[in-house]
Amino acid sequence: MNTFLTLLKTSLNVNFGISALRHRFIKQKRRLWEPVLIGVSFAFGIGTLMALTSAFFIALLIAGKSMGQPEIVLAMGFVSAQLIILMFGIFYIMGAFYFSKDIDILVPLPLKPSHIIASKFVIVMINEYLTLVPILLPAVIIYGAGTGQGILYWIKALILWLATPVIPLAMAGLFVVILMRFVNIRKSKDLLAFVGGFLGVIVAVGTNFFFQRMPKGKEEEFIQNFLNTQSGLVKTVGQKFPPALWATKGLAENSPEAIGYFLLFIGTCLVLLAALLWLANRIFFKSLLSGQEVNRRRRSVSQREMDGKYGKRQSPVLALFWKEWKLFFRTPIYVMNGLVGMVMAPFLIIMPYIANKEAGAYMFDIISNPQYTVPVTLAGVGVLLLVTNMNIVANTSVSREGNMFWVSKLIPVPAKQQILAKVLHSIAIVLIGIVVTAIVLAVILKYTPIRIIIIVFLAIIGSFSTVALNLMVDVLRPKLEWTNPQEAVKRNINAILGMLASFVALGIFAGVAAMMVFMGAPEWLVYTGLAVIMGAVAAAALFGLLKLSEWKYKKIEV
Amino acid sequence: MINIKNLSKSYNKGSVKAVDNLNLHVNPGEIFGFLGPNGAGKTTTIKMMIGLLNSDSGSISIKGFDNQKQTLEAKRNIGYVPDNPDVFDRLTGMEYLNFMADIYQVEPDVRKERIKSFLEMFGLNDAAGDLIKSYSHGMKQKIVLTGALVHDPALWILDEPLVGLDPKSAHQLKELMRKHCDKGNTVFFSTHVLEVAEKICDRIGIINRGKLVAIGTMDELRKGEQAGSLENIFLELTEQ
Repeated sequence: MNTFLTLLKTSLNVNFGISALRHRFIKQKRRLWEPVLIGVSFAFGIGTLMALTSAFFIALLIAGKSMGQPEIVLAMGFVSAQLIILMFGIFYIMGAFYFSKDIDILVPLPLKPSHIIASKFVIVMINEYLTLVPILLPAVIIYGAGTGQGILYWIKALILWLATPVIPLAMAGLFVVILMRFVNIRKSKDLLAFVGGFLGVIVAVGTNFFFQRMPKGKEEEFIQNFLNTQSGLVKTVGQKFPPALWATKGLAENSPEAIGYFLLFIGTCLVLLAALLWLANRIFFKSLLSGQEVNRRRRSVSQREMDGKYGKRQSPVLALFWKEWKLFFRTPIYVMNGLVGMVMAPFLIIMPYIANKEAGAYMFDIISNPQYTVPVTLAGVGVLLLVTNMNIVANTSVSREGNMFWVSKLIPVPAKQQILAKVLHSIAIVLIGIVVTAIVLAVILKYTPIRIIIIVFLAIIGSFSTVALNLMVDVLRPKLEWTNPQEAVKRNINAILGMLASFVALGIFAGVAAMMVFMGAPEWLVYTGLAVIMGAVAAAALFGLLKLSEWKYKKIEV
Repeated sequence: MINIKNLSKSYNKGSVKAVDNLNLHVNPGEIFGFLGPNGAGKTTTIKMMIGLLNSDSGSISIKGFDNQKQTLEAKRNIGYVPDNPDVFDRLTGMEYLNFMADIYQVEPDVRKERIKSFLEMFGLNDAAGDLIKSYSHGMKQKIVLTGALVHDPALWILDEPLVGLDPKSAHQLKELMRKHCDKGNTVFFSTHVLEVAEKICDRIGIINRGKLVAIGTMDELRKGEQAGSLENIFLELTEQ
């Protein structure tokens, strides 16, 4: 037990970077404001989501009460929480058990496989509590407060809350450990990361679509409808995944039967966990090793390739551009955060208008009304610039080099040329977003071709300034110390700071455009004026960026 | 080829002196071995030579170019291999070499010939089309080495170049170093393997606690107060 506790303590320390944070904030006293900013943005994100789910659960409680089944709130909360944990759990567990870097250090130590698995399990479980905050917490609180529950309810709720991730994660664990014993997924690690990330986007889009369909002011009616047509679904899911119903029954009532369900839920948690640890002791190392086999097939370069694609000389800027391009597209986490989100964003933005017919019809009326040509076109430009600004390509461009930054310091290419390659790469990715959004505007929102051309033209000019400002932030304070590419993009505050910086430019553009419209400027002048302002801001930002990079690259030491 | 004057560098706001008023001159045609215990300042000195670290004071000139003022000219004359061969592991070996050749603007015919001969020599022909992340430590070392030499720089700066290389590749690298210097070029390398330094170096410098404590040919070092093998000399000088 002592060995396990030591292992757990160290794992927690490493995974949540406790010593590293302590060193940075207490010893070095660097970037003390960062956790505050992260905390605020995090609270804001979770808060928004919680507001949405709370509204849903309140409506569900009212509807459920009128049907004499208020516990539908708990059932919905437990079913969705456990299903989501099960779905993502498979990926998290696979990552933690088989792909984490410390596995190679832990395996040679005299530790039982069950100790390693249990410590990893705890870490995944702690991360899952965050998933539970916006889903289960509102359900439990709204039901408890809404039906006036006593102290026993809250005690049981706390225990069930803590135990909720155990069953789905243990099931995911059993599945993964058995699967890995027979299938070598280790070599498809990148594909796996991509599938996991993509699943996340689908769930986010699906949830958003569901909530957008809820008409404002008519939530209860919508829920009634939903229950009449979909309550069968909750029941079916509940039957297929009975622990969620046990938790509901165990929590909602105080009868001996309810205590039985409560104990059944907790007992199932313990049995599944024990089964996972038992299996781990038997096959974890075997399944780990079966995935370690290296692919021995080697690929040489043919004379034709030597003469063809490798037989040409290109400029250093182009060489750097293609290097950025290849590294970006070969790192799934970069594609997920830099491209997939940006390509999905236009669909998310127009979703309310498709999901809600009234709003959609109103929107189409405005778009097709010649009176609103200028505002509609400008709104299109705004959408394109906002969508393309929501990615991590430019604002983590230097950070992504990580411990490879020595190459950038070593090569005889001036910093401004290196940064120019990054600007071009960011613009190239942004162009993909511009094209997709423009297609959405043209096909779904029926923007005319001439408007699309104007919008795309203005958006491209505008993008140069947002890209330059995003890059400026990353040049100023690159995060070069990371071991996993995920840290370079997802745990990098520059992603937020860059976007904030570029909002300044977007604000200027919006202000200038609005001013010209209110002053009654003719259409051609609005677009030309905006193009000139955007061009000027882009030129100034690019000039500043290149100057800044020359100064900063000299300062960075590796 | 290398001229270092009064070079100093400290860490932790001056509390740790990594390099302390170092003066060093390395001639063309020389293989220069840079020795010292762990933490003596070898890698810090090398990193300042190639521009990865800034010095607190002093100057470094590479083939007559001040590496602070004529940065690009100085860099063009250097081929550097770090002690840890971390490169872009999501590029294939060939893509990496081609990238380095583009960066140093090596003519297509020249690069093809050089890359081909290095790949053959290091036995990497069959793996050049694979992603670097599938390479072993030694293979990575060889691909980084090839990338560093593809522009045929006058000065090779190699930090622990023999670690991770198999005996055949290590032997070939030592021969390459000799040939390179015989053409009037220079190799500056750090190592902990004293036998190798004793065998192939024209001159040796020993650094301890940031200061150069000895410099010269093996014979010159032996003539000093310390006598015997390089190991004895090293131990005596660095224990003080």
